[in-house]
Amino acid sequence: MNRLAGAVLILATILVQVTWAPRLTIAGVFPNLALVAVIAATWTYGVRAGMAWACVAGLMLDLTAPGPLGPHAVALLAGAYLTGFWIRNVDPDSVLHPMLAVAASSAAYCFIVVAADDTLGLPVPPLDVALQLLVAASFYNAVLMPVGLVLLRRRQATPMISASSA
Amino acid sequence: MYRRRSQSRSTGLFLILCAAMLLLAMLSEQSWAAGARGVAKSALAPLESTMTQVADRVDRLTAVFGDVSSLRAENQRLKAADEALRRQVVELDAAAKENATLRQALDFERSFGHRMVAAQVVGRGPDGFSRTLQIDRGTADGVQPGMIVTTGAGLLGRVREAGPHGAIVQTLGDPQSRVNVFLSRSGLQGTVTGGPAALRLDIEHSLGMTASSGEWALTSGVGGGYPRGLVVGELASITHRPSSTSDQAVIAWVNDPGATSLVLVITDFVPS
Repeated sequence: MNRLAGAVLILATILVQVTWAPRLTIAGVFPNLALVAVIAATWTYGVRAGMAWACVAGLMLDLTAPGPLGPHAVALLAGAYLTGFWIRNVDPDSVLHPMLAVAASSAAYCFIVVAADDTLGLPVPPLDVALQLLVAASFYNAVLMPVGLVLLRRRQATPMISASSA
Repeated sequence: MYRRRSQSRSTGLFLILCAAMLLLAMLSEQSWAAGARGVAKSALAPLESTMTQVADRVDRLTAVFGDVSSLRAENQRLKAADEALRRQVVELDAAAKENATLRQALDFERSFGHRMVAAQVVGRGPDGFSRTLQIDRGTADGVQPGMIVTTGAGLLGRVREAGPHGAIVQTLGDPQSRVNVFLSRSGLQGTVTGGPAALRLDIEHSLGMTASSGEWALTSGVGGGYPRGLVVGELASITHRPSSTSDQAVIAWVNDPGATSLVLVITDFVPS
């Protein structure tokens, strides 16, 4: 039941990301709510639960993007895994560290998505534009991270996807 | 000790999941899987359509201060009317330059009398890197990959993938999109490339001719990728480069993919 609720929450997040979030575009980027949710889940429930969220959310993102199924899932998985390292070595109650983790994960996500698109022959932006988008996306997602954490921590009493320790 | 074991377990899980996703990517990229992939991708279209409607309603509800909502609607209506009128002027202007033989050769009817399918935009690409739109029409409605997508204002992009009841449109804003155009007044030719902020145009030099701001760029049909005569945008600024073989310009695109809600798919033009 908790897993189902988690899947519904992820689906709702993806739908908001591809329909409503583009209205909040700043400097060519809009919030990557799926990435923020995955990192917040990793920070709250642990790295294994975060990777489960990453797979589900990534596959849903792939359904909304051109190309094969999988690249966005790999990009989100990398973000969750990176955050796992972060959690082990810092104070988990700090507000700054989740923001830094999501910024670093955004950079990894952007790199993997662009590399995958390039490998698959899909359109990719020139390097300078990609870097500009990467910086803007990292900043934007970092600003949203505290909100994502607060929302997930409210539900922490009833974890959605089998919460394993990091 | 426990920490290290937990870390190696996470690493193992990460590697297994990455391998599974890469395998899925390779399999779903195969031609025999295209149908199933299309079905899976169009499965989300109804949900996205509902969400888009909800988002529109929320937008309307939040625009309660003053007459923001009505002013916005009026502004949109006037903008659309203005765009339509400007397109007509540009098209008439461009058409006047063509002599009768050229007009016949270009098959005027083919350029301006295409069969089209109207579709609603139900979603956008998942991040800033893919300048795509999702529409609620697919192969069941005659929409096929490669078809040209326009709005009432002008060229928007091309269908990249199509499922039974949904399709993904690659817009001109995509960094690798290329469109050959000609300019309405000078007749100079060039190539428009996409970008996150604005469309860029490389204008080929021609003896005695220079492009100027305010000119309109229309598809030239060169290369057979797009039909001739579709409006792309207006030249906003030009950088003349005498030492180069081309000038660079910024195009004010007639379409704003972020605000587009209805598109037209040209179903009887086959790109060569």
